[in-house]
Amino acid sequence: MPETIEIQLKKGVLTLCVLALLNRRERYAYEIAATLSDAIDMGEGTIYPLMRRMQSEGQVETYLVESPSGPSRKYYRLTAAGRQALETQTREWRAFVQAVEGVISDTARATVATGTETTDQGEPIQ
Amino acid sequence: MTRDEFMGRLRRGLVGLPTAAAADIASDYEAHFEDGAAAGRSEAEVAAALGDPDRLARELRAESTARRWTQEQNPSAAVGAVFGLLGLGALDIFILLPIVVPVFGTVLTVLFMGVLVFFAGAVALVVGPFMGGPGGILAAALIGVGIMGVGMFMTGLGALITKWLIDATVWYARLHYRVLKPALDAHQPAYPQA
Repeated sequence: MPETIEIQLKKGVLTLCVLALLNRRERYAYEIAATLSDAIDMGEGTIYPLMRRMQSEGQVETYLVESPSGPSRKYYRLTAAGRQALETQTREWRAFVQAVEGVISDTARATVATGTETTDQGEPIQ
Repeated sequence: MTRDEFMGRLRRGLVGLPTAAAADIASDYEAHFEDGAAAGRSEAEVAAALGDPDRLARELRAESTARRWTQEQNPSAAVGAVFGLLGLGALDIFILLPIVVPVFGTVLTVLFMGVLVFFAGAVALVVGPFMGGPGGILAAALIGVGIMGVGMFMTGLGALITKWLIDATVWYARLHYRVLKPALDAHQPAYPQA
């Protein structure tokens, strides 16, 4: 199942992505879905269960904007709790990426260095 | 799939939710089709990008029942939350059952025993003084009140632990389906393309 890890990673960061998008400006759901569908190739339908969950957790709130054509449109904006969540999750994400990057680049170097003598720090000897 | 087909399947999947919540959800997806059409996409394209309506309905229903449990903590909300999550496949009943049954069984027994002890205490309070036991009327009444107190304590403890258990189950299941159940399957639609 080669796609599994990719799917799980995306699902894990979906909330963070939505928080980040809404932090830039207030949006309606279709915009969020279309943006994330382009950016990380997620199913657009997933956005609605997610937005409802984020709303019930108090991270986002909705308001209606009259539309010149058709019915009024539901917009989402971050609450104070949402901004806090964005800050926390961004910090966690950066730390996580850095840690994983550290591990995989070490492994890559070790693979390259296999067969060559290395010092205690894992650096190849000149 | 056409817009009507998609909406029909979604609405059928949402049966059982409060009418207002189901209507709210349906209008979200209707608006999505409107916006898609405005962006020049066909109904079939939008429907395919949205994903499987049955699966979305299950996810929305589970979310809604779980939220109801956090808002009103009564038995029907608890049953709704647990069954909603079961329907989603977020709780694997066969893995959880051997763990859940003894734990819930024990807690419910404490709860039930608490009620019994309480009533036994009440009987002792009323009948005791006429039995002419040692220590006289006052001692018998005090023993009755004491037993009632123990019963109330057991009932309260049982109820508290039950609430924690359901909270924990809902938390676990949400975590589980959020991480493990991919709803991001835009690549592999679970239905034949219309």
